[in-house]
Amino acid sequence: MSATPEAPVSVPIADLDSDDLLGSFAEGRRLVGTRCGNCGQTMIGSRVVCSSCVSRDVSRVPLPGTGVLYSFTRLHVGGDGVRAVGYVDLDDDVRTLADLREDATPLRPDAPVELVVDGDAWFFTPVTGA
Amino acid sequence: MAEDAYVISASMIPFGKYRSSSYVGLAVSPLIDALQRAGVQKSDVDAVYVGHSYGGMMTGQRITKEIGLGTVPTVNVDNACSSGATAVHEAATAIAQGLIDVAVVIGVEKLTQFGGGTLPLSPEDREVKQGIVMPAVYAMRATRYLYENDATVDDLALVSVKARRHGALNPFAQYRQEVTVEQVLAARPVADPLTLLMCCPTGDGAAVVVLASERARHRLGIGGAARVAASVLHSGQVQEGFRDMTKPEITYQSARDAYAQAGIEPHDLDMIEFHDAFSIAELVYYEAFGLTEKHSAVALLRDGRTTFGGDVVVNPSGGLLAKGHPVGASGVAQVAEAFWQLTGQAGARQIEDARWAATHVTGGGTAGLDHGACTIHIFEAA
Repeated sequence: MSATPEAPVSVPIADLDSDDLLGSFAEGRRLVGTRCGNCGQTMIGSRVVCSSCVSRDVSRVPLPGTGVLYSFTRLHVGGDGVRAVGYVDLDDDVRTLADLREDATPLRPDAPVELVVDGDAWFFTPVTGA
Repeated sequence: MAEDAYVISASMIPFGKYRSSSYVGLAVSPLIDALQRAGVQKSDVDAVYVGHSYGGMMTGQRITKEIGLGTVPTVNVDNACSSGATAVHEAATAIAQGLIDVAVVIGVEKLTQFGGGTLPLSPEDREVKQGIVMPAVYAMRATRYLYENDATVDDLALVSVKARRHGALNPFAQYRQEVTVEQVLAARPVADPLTLLMCCPTGDGAAVVVLASERARHRLGIGGAARVAASVLHSGQVQEGFRDMTKPEITYQSARDAYAQAGIEPHDLDMIEFHDAFSIAELVYYEAFGLTEKHSAVALLRDGRTTFGGDVVVNPSGGLLAKGHPVGASGVAQVAEAFWQLTGQAGARQIEDARWAATHVTGGGTAGLDHGACTIHIFEAA
């Protein structure tokens, strides 16, 4: 007999058990990210493998609550009323899709924005006075 | 390519809303017509490739059995909006490798089955769970484009005006009425800054092309043909952080590879069918295809250099905006347009002495990717 090892058993990833983007951390309630312990890449959401170096040495981390609005739209279809959504580039170079709220400060690309958590809902809003 | 592959016939139904037709009902007529026009018997066909996204199990076999075209391999392909073009790519690749001589490619989709609204996306996707829809993706691209460039919403409207003007000449187009900039801007808002007339319509359609090897082409004694000079398929690459949405890397890289395969330069092209699902896309793709430098796409459009009589006719068929966009059918319909233009069969929209044509279609809304797929073909009149 050769010394060829037995074929390994691959296991499915239970990604449906942890698909909430909002989590509780020591810092408070933040968006959930995953940081790779091997190459340091940070990703949105709960992951079990790094999409860059394919390491499984990853850990759950809170993402920054501040970032810059890359772009946005006010969506008139697919729901009730008008809904503002955009891509926010968080301070650690993670991009997330996000609902947006605009008060006195109108939305514009490259505007500084911050996370607001309201119950189970979360959204980003322009930083006041920025 | 190792061996040359040729498009030797094309047929399609006008895109539109056919509530009384199934996938089979949409596709069988153009299938029969394409075979007849190619002078190809069922026994000549070596393989069938079928692009669709929402047809369900065995869509290809359900179509081909209606004319008793069995036994040979039938491959069903899903790459979202790139499904049909991916099917063409598979057929051209098999011929180029010398594996087969004659391939039938069917692109078919029935979007009226959903009763309206935006295109259904995978419910497993993270951003789909957050409520993303395709118009929002392109609208964000548009917002950023207008922010970075000396362009206005009038330019976005002008793309639609040109598309409708071309579509008015095309008996296969879903929309054949011309529109004005004012009408486009006054249309119902979908996702700011995009109005309804800056978005491709929902509809049904089917298109069929027959591809053949050099030797089959001579054996069958076929006339006009279009040589497949390049056939390129790329997949999207994930970005966890910043992505420049005005510079979609998947189309830049696919275009670069297609020009290299064909051995031509952007200025050689007589026509291009772009994936103009939303009007912003056409401006972005002028730059991605090297028709102009970054930040100067609107000048190309405003100066009429991408319409009939210009440097290169972009979307002579009316594109997705006017011809319609039944997802899996679009890539094959683009190839049909290129074939007709290169063989002088394009009627009122014929581009004089057209020699080089490109077709481009992307596919899919997937979190982290610009697009999931991008297929580009370049054809030469043969």
